[in-house]
Amino acid sequence: MTDPLVDRLKSLIVEALKLEGVTPQEIADDEPLIGAGLNLDSIDALELVVRLEKEFGIKISNSEESRSALASIQSLAAFVRERADPARLPS
Amino acid sequence: MSAVAESPSAPPPAARNPGPSWGYRFIRLLDRVLPEFLFRPLRAAGTWVSLALMPAQRRHSRAYLHTIFGREPRLIEVFRHFFAFEEALMVKLRAANGRIPRTVLAPGSEHFKTFVNSGRHAFLGTFHVGHSDLLGFLLGPVENHRVFMVRQRVGNSHDTDRLGSLFGQWIRFIWVNEPENLLFALKDAVASGGSVAMKCDRLEFSAKTEAFEFLGARRLFPFTIYHLAQIFDLPVLLTLGVPGAPGETLIYSSPRWEPDRSVSRAENLRRAHAHFQDFLRELEAHLRRNPYLWFNFLELNPPANVAPADAAPPPRPQQSGR
Repeated sequence: MTDPLVDRLKSLIVEALKLEGVTPQEIADDEPLIGAGLNLDSIDALELVVRLEKEFGIKISNSEESRSALASIQSLAAFVRERADPARLPS
Repeated sequence: MSAVAESPSAPPPAARNPGPSWGYRFIRLLDRVLPEFLFRPLRAAGTWVSLALMPAQRRHSRAYLHTIFGREPRLIEVFRHFFAFEEALMVKLRAANGRIPRTVLAPGSEHFKTFVNSGRHAFLGTFHVGHSDLLGFLLGPVENHRVFMVRQRVGNSHDTDRLGSLFGQWIRFIWVNEPENLLFALKDAVASGGSVAMKCDRLEFSAKTEAFEFLGARRLFPFTIYHLAQIFDLPVLLTLGVPGAPGETLIYSSPRWEPDRSVSRAENLRRAHAHFQDFLRELEAHLRRNPYLWFNFLELNPPANVAPADAAPPPRPQQSGR
């Protein structure tokens, strides 16, 4: 059974960063987002952080948080789940 | 200084300009005690010494002057290039000591003052050219405009430190050599209300680059500023400060580029590309009139078919409309 938050995060990454030729389903849950895997650069990471903050009302306030949150989809989902108002999470 | 490091975990490069820390203090002292008719020849002599002791910068100066003149430059022309830079540093040093140059808007650039007085903020792009380095510092005290300056911390930054403390009420630095803090510093800067000033000519630290016509070739330039402007929905203004009459800095500004929510990101970036190209043409015209104002004593921006070592993007999924 799929996790609606994980699905939403994958869609958000593809949509926010306009990843062409990549569908949300193709992003593995444990795929690194920065550096390898999707290979997002620092501007992409910034854009993603800004979008996440808007959508889930969370605050990613330093690079350590960002590094651990953006390590993979799994870690991002855990981070968002821990910080976001449950009402803003997809059900 | 251009923009933003490629990877948050990239190690910072070694600091440039590791000159003696007493150097600027010594120059300040001489500036105070010597009359200009004695001090200027002394500065020229010091510039000859620099020219002799800085082979890498001399080589880059020669290569740049060769490109702009279309012939091998003479030694005196390389000296003039070095001396123009030294004189611009003196202007900055004097500004740090309270002798702030008068700023005059060039014809057609009056909208720049209107914008900074409007209370809105922007991404302000500039270049290592002429007096441009001073513009960010002058916006605060002259126009009451808060500026976050994205800068590279160098080994000997006495002048910058002095200017920073003098205008501390208006200026904050975001150090590009601390990439781990950069991203969040930019985000916080925008959130706290202020313009962000960054250099747009050097490829080091630049996450996004594009090719533009400049000095007879399609050359890579940082393009990060427009990506940031799109993310934060802020305008971009490109500026130049060049020496005017004695004691005066002439400011040139591009028209304002603003991300347009009603068009696609690709269209926004296409317009941004045209905006930057137009200003580069203006910059080139300035340099053709006064070649010595180009203060990048580094390798000239490489032609677009030559990937720069520290800005080459790694393979990644293709992004559309970006």
